[in-house]
Amino acid sequence: MMKHHIAKDEPLWWALFSAGGICFAMLVPAAILVFGLLMPMGIIPASAFDYESLRGLGLGWPGLIFAGGVIALPAFHALHRIRHSCADLMLGKESVNKVWAYGLASLMSLMAVGVVLVNLF
Amino acid sequence: MSQTKSIRVQRYLPEQEPEPFWQNYEVPFDESTSILDALNYIKDELDNTLSYRWSCRMAICGSCGVMVNGIPKLGCKTFLREYGTRVDISALAHFPVERDLVVDMDIFMEHLEAVKPYIIDKSKGRPTGESDTYRQTPAQMARYHQFSNCINCGLCYAACPQFGLNNQFLGPAAITLAQRYNLDNRDKGKRERMAALSEHDGVWSCTFVGFCSTVCPKHVDPAAAVNQGKIEAAKYTLINLLNG
Ligand code: SF4
Ligand code: FES
Repeated sequence: MMKHHIAKDEPLWWALFSAGGICFAMLVPAAILVFGLLMPMGIIPASAFDYESLRGLGLGWPGLIFAGGVIALPAFHALHRIRHSCADLMLGKESVNKVWAYGLASLMSLMAVGVVLVNLF
Repeated sequence: MSQTKSIRVQRYLPEQEPEPFWQNYEVPFDESTSILDALNYIKDELDNTLSYRWSCRMAICGSCGVMVNGIPKLGCKTFLREYGTRVDISALAHFPVERDLVVDMDIFMEHLEAVKPYIIDKSKGRPTGESDTYRQTPAQMARYHQFSNCINCGLCYAACPQFGLNNQFLGPAAITLAQRYNLDNRDKGKRERMAALSEHDGVWSCTFVGFCSTVCPKHVDPAAAVNQGKIEAAKYTLINLLNG
């Protein structure tokens, strides 16, 4: 019988990629709308975004959701795509590309989520 | 048939020329002339050295796949009227060419075989086959019916850039066929298929380009089957890890 080598890590990367895709579609546009359009255009008054209230939000539970949904998971989504694009263009070796791609995504996630977690607990 | 169209066919005659070359033919056509009709005209009237495959002429046998202007097409389901002045016909991409438009499909057949595309049922209570048969409701059949429309033409493999880079990738049609049987209530063989699907060269080599579903002449939607396969492979891998 043929021996099969199950790719044990791929489901994890794919799950993070999929979750990140949903965040990219739902949360990232909302963040761009609020911080990139409504705020600079003055539709939401700048006073709603003063340092103290944003700090309070950003370092609390809403901040944790923001860091996870707008930074961490989209980072995994984007770097999974970049890893696959490298394979398409035959750049580098798959085993090496995986290390830097998911390493970078993990680092970005750790930094984003870590800052909030340190302040939460 | 007063109009004619100039058609370029990529020829490969290894015993005469080491390299493939393009050859022009002037073919009469009307509204109903298919690419396959044009090839048959060339073979019968202009140049009997041309080699290509066909059988049914009605999009059922799956043997007449060629590239038309670089896009995988069934010769019998594609019409000259759809094209302007440029009609370039070449062998299906990503397969080794044996001669002219005839490709070697062995690797495709191996991938189909690898997913055990038949009903596996070793249970004690399985029907014996005489007056005793399987029962299936229309709703149970609807779960896999679309995936069972595949005619094994290989167009999706010619469309898939991942198969082009790595022909060990199981590929769209084989993964679709695995799903077709996995979703069949008569089948008990899912575990036997999942190992092949859960390899790197199984579902995970797919980067969801989706061109397979665009070119499929039977609207099978192999890309959807591959994505379902990813969910199943993820579950299978997790269960395997938990079981040690
Ligand atoms: S899935 Fe569609 S394109 Fe692929 S082999 Fe089957 S019928 Fe042909
Ligand atoms: S000749 Fe049979 S599918 Fe075209």
